[in-house]
Amino acid sequence: MMENSVDDYRIQSFDLDTQMLLKTALKDPSSVNLEKVSNLIMDQSLKDQVFSKEAGRICYTIVQAEAKQNNGNVFRRNLLNRLQQEFKDREETRERSLQEWVCYVTFICNIFDYLKVNNMPMVALVDPVFDCLMRLAQPDALMNEEEVDCLVLQLNRIGEQLEKVNSQRMDELFFLLRDGFLLQEGLTSMARLLLLEILEFRAGGWLLSSTAHKYYYSEIAD
Amino acid sequence: MSDWTRSRRRDAHSSERDNDSGPSRWSHCRKRGVDGSLRANREADGHHKTNCSHTDNRHASFTTPENAGPVSRCARRADWGSQVEEDEMRRDVHRDMQRYRRRILGAEVTQRERKTSSGSSGSCDSREGENMETDESVLLRRQKQINYGKNTLAYDRYIKEVPKHMRQAGVHPKTPNKFRKYSRRSWDQQIKLWKVKLHAWDPPTEGSPDKVLDNIDELGLDDVMDIELDFPTLSDPQDAPASVTTRSLSLEGEECLGTPVKVQKTDTTVEPDMA
Repeated sequence: MMENSVDDYRIQSFDLDTQMLLKTALKDPSSVNLEKVSNLIMDQSLKDQVFSKEAGRICYTIVQAEAKQNNGNVFRRNLLNRLQQEFKDREETRERSLQEWVCYVTFICNIFDYLKVNNMPMVALVDPVFDCLMRLAQPDALMNEEEVDCLVLQLNRIGEQLEKVNSQRMDELFFLLRDGFLLQEGLTSMARLLLLEILEFRAGGWLLSSTAHKYYYSEIAD
Repeated sequence: MSDWTRSRRRDAHSSERDNDSGPSRWSHCRKRGVDGSLRANREADGHHKTNCSHTDNRHASFTTPENAGPVSRCARRADWGSQVEEDEMRRDVHRDMQRYRRRILGAEVTQRERKTSSGSSGSCDSREGENMETDESVLLRRQKQINYGKNTLAYDRYIKEVPKHMRQAGVHPKTPNKFRKYSRRSWDQQIKLWKVKLHAWDPPTEGSPDKVLDNIDELGLDDVMDIELDFPTLSDPQDAPASVTTRSLSLEGEECLGTPVKVQKTDTTVEPDMA
């Protein structure tokens, strides 16, 4: 399996016992406590931003393995319900720790990106994901570069898919982003740059033109 | 098998008994939730089932044929896990419907060819197409019943012990065809008969739970493939010769098999031999 090496790499951040558990979950899911595994992945995602960006891949592999092994979906069910639980507490999480909140949004978006039902996005996650992104687009969140960075990253990854399933909510989100970019005082230039880029990105049909790319990503021109 | 799985399963068995009015032997064999997931979320399952059985009872007192309308009987559950599972089932049912339509079309074409050669009258398959059940709520309800029956150790043992080509109509249980138009009563009766037949494959070791659990581990890919069983063998060339004779012999008492399609097929397939 090609993805094994990637998964192995991601798993390094766990202690040895957990690594063993995850490796077994990937190979022989029915032999481990999948509820525990889903909680471990969730907990780690909330702590580790790098992990939260790629945890969807491991989850995808376990879901596939479990479905293949006994047509089961214990892991997915527990993972989604845990995600839902954290979703309910998101405002408290944000108040307690910005980093954890950003990790949560990164994780749920990554799950949205990786886990599909018959190759279609999971409908149950569409509104929650939008809710998270709308939250990140509120004036108080736009003041934190961390949150703007997260918002823009998520839109880069799943913006197009989200727009396909609910273009109206995407429009609403972008009203907020335009307002933020244009009217909000006190935004750092970095935040404005990120917002401008994502506005251009969507306007270009979720693609950045080569000149725009050059503008945002090349070294400062002479 | 680790301890947690075992205790979890034991939980599943005990709470199952509260909800199931059937014999405990039956519930003892249950291994996964209604939706096919291994029993984990006890609360949600319990809630779900009470809902269903309530409406079930109410409906059973009606004598009119089923027409549930667009409203689902089971209220949409709030947890994401269940929502995604329902979503998945809905999409699976729609996918099955497309497949089934293609099958009917395929059979219809063959039928037409045969018609010109044998001169038999009327295409039963096209009638089949018109009479197809397309109401999503009915299909979802039926699929749930089917999943419930398939979600047993007996079913797993059955599909393992009797390979598809060895199955004989009237002898072996055959999953009712959810795409045919049937009255609510007729359908429920078919499901009941099917489940009764499946009981023949109940695990023999009642007293030893370890044996039963071992069976769970033996589950192979068969289980994943069992969607195939939902379709009638309309155009299954390799199945036809073996099953044709038994099928025609066992028509009586098997209302789900006594359909014009199968009879028609029997006639036409047998014909070449006689010519």
